[in-house]
Amino acid sequence: MKFKLVSSLVSLVTTAVLTVATPAQADDSLNAVLAKKSIALGVASDFPPYGFMGPDFKLTGVDVATAQLIADKLGVKAEFVPVSTPNRIPYLQTKKIDLIVSALGKNPEREKVIDFTIAYAPFFQAVFGPKALNIKSFDDLAGKSIAVTRGTIQDDMLQKVAPPTLKIQRFEDDSTTVAAFISQQTQLLATGAAVAAAAVQKNPQVQAEYKLLLKDSPNFIGVRKGETALLTKVNEILRAAKADGTLEQYSQKWLGRGTGVLPE
Amino acid sequence: MIEFDFGVVLAQWPMLAHGLVLTVALTLASAVLGTALGIACAWARLHGGRALRSATSAYVEAVRNTPFIIQLFFIFFGLPSLGIRLSVEVACVLAMVLNLGAYACEIVRAGLQATPKGQLEAAMSLALTPWQTFSRVVLPPALARIWPALVSQIIIVMLGSAVCGQISAEELSQAANLISSRTFRSFESYILVTLVYLALAMALRQCLNWVGPRFIFTSR
Amino acid sequence: MVQFALWDILGFLVGAMRWTVLLSLIAFAGGGLMGLALLMLRFAKLPGVGTAVAWYVQLFQGTPLLMQLFLVYFGLALLGWDTSPMVAASLCLTLYASAYLTEIWRGCVMSIPQGQWEASSGLALTYAQQMRHVILPQAARVAIAPTVGFLVQVIKGTALASVIGFVELTKAGQMISNATYQPFMAYTLVGLMYFALCYPLSWWSQRLENRRLA
Repeated sequence: MKFKLVSSLVSLVTTAVLTVATPAQADDSLNAVLAKKSIALGVASDFPPYGFMGPDFKLTGVDVATAQLIADKLGVKAEFVPVSTPNRIPYLQTKKIDLIVSALGKNPEREKVIDFTIAYAPFFQAVFGPKALNIKSFDDLAGKSIAVTRGTIQDDMLQKVAPPTLKIQRFEDDSTTVAAFISQQTQLLATGAAVAAAAVQKNPQVQAEYKLLLKDSPNFIGVRKGETALLTKVNEILRAAKADGTLEQYSQKWLGRGTGVLPE
Repeated sequence: MIEFDFGVVLAQWPMLAHGLVLTVALTLASAVLGTALGIACAWARLHGGRALRSATSAYVEAVRNTPFIIQLFFIFFGLPSLGIRLSVEVACVLAMVLNLGAYACEIVRAGLQATPKGQLEAAMSLALTPWQTFSRVVLPPALARIWPALVSQIIIVMLGSAVCGQISAEELSQAANLISSRTFRSFESYILVTLVYLALAMALRQCLNWVGPRFIFTSR
Repeated sequence: MVQFALWDILGFLVGAMRWTVLLSLIAFAGGGLMGLALLMLRFAKLPGVGTAVAWYVQLFQGTPLLMQLFLVYFGLALLGWDTSPMVAASLCLTLYASAYLTEIWRGCVMSIPQGQWEASSGLALTYAQQMRHVILPQAARVAIAPTVGFLVQVIKGTALASVIGFVELTKAGQMISNATYQPFMAYTLVGLMYFALCYPLSWWSQRLENRRLA
């Protein structure tokens, strides 16, 4: 009974796939964007100061500003699509968005599935925790609990360097992860420096401070594999913004620090 | 052309197994505790004093008219501001127990109300205490009467537990999320896990329908 | 840095609640039409169709709504149709509602005495005529209370659309909770708003059931 259901479901899916023709992977996003005069930009909506809701309930932040810059330079309308870390790559792959501009870090696993532009903003991931807790090295994490967002660079790093007795609790988006830490459901938090700084500033009762560096991993923009025209154009815009100081300006305004040396 | 790659997803079966075990554990714990709570509340609504009846009604209506995900978020994220900090698994079980309890209350109450008058009269004439009347004469046949509805509700709560992944519980739906993060194969991960849930729902129904008549409401 | 007034928060939540209501109505209406069609097919005595409908119902009743939402959302994208969370959620909830409604209504039709079927076929009515003039009007009386009750389930089901990114009441509540760092307030408000939507319907459904039985 059950097997028949399984096999008929599998064949149903396969038939659906075979009967619907899908276009082959093409290098036509840039043309499509220019033609329809708008670009779909995946940004964070809950991740201050990179992408978040201001008091006027409009999206703002260093990523949102950079994304708007790209749209302006391309001469098209910016369509912001809120994404979270776990869903942004699937969204890009399935063409719901044309670019990922949401505190995206580069790592080998991601490079297999998407392409990256040059870096545009600094970002380092670290472990944060209460002042009372003494954490000097990764071994001190043993037996503690830490909140992290699923599929992030921090998630990868923790799996590589943390002791096995560390209880890693993975949440679906960055804001929920921070909320879990602030409500002290976990003892520690692994996230971006500026994010933690913003959260700590609003919640002095948590008494959190920076503990351990996980990775110094600046923000890159994510592009679908094979979209070389779009990739080249965006890199051009970013390099120009770097040269004329716009990126430095954004970094100072939102992150309170300079960009430092941003890798290519 | 889209290609599906179930192989790389199936290779992650330990994660799947871990998730399945937790889902089953959460379901069993909440089924037992939730049903007990439901029976207690049903009794309270029928035989309790005015205050108890109102309190129970308020609880039942509050749970039945709000989504489970909100109840879960409230317990996990909201209660800590009152100083009540529960671990992920405890929060999940509590939310599921409170959820099942409210529905079970109504289901069991309907079963209790259908008790034939003659039974109660016979029990009285045998000088049984109220507790003996309830636990031996009224409750078992009532449970037998409403067993299918209760089993369905338990399955609904089991399927609802998929939401617990949102608060980082490593149950079955979170296993799908984690597998899709690692393999970047979302569709395959979710299809596989959905099929596991379907199999689990069928198995659970068979299991509870077998256990019920044998252990819960054995007819003597 | 960013301060939110309670009034702004309520305004934002009520705005999101409109989407909850809209999604619920779309799913209920669409699901109702589809469920009715499935109901007609179920009793039509066509070979294999009855079983197919039964399997369809089993599929939606035996799997979590959350998984159904993920599959519709990512599945549609894979088939090349770019959909918003709203469209995916509407489609998925419509299918979900159709499965549950057809099952509820099946029970109502089954409660009609066999004599009604026999008498109407004796009057040389076709299947469609039997359903339309004899069976469904009687079944409808029985069906009203549980159908209204199911609308409550649909409204609660829309809360899961938040997980695929649709900004309805639950997602709005999460956003407020995370922006203000006050989850207790945020989720209490959201809970009260869902209660305000659902309780009147639950109460009405109970009243209908009591009147029918009285």
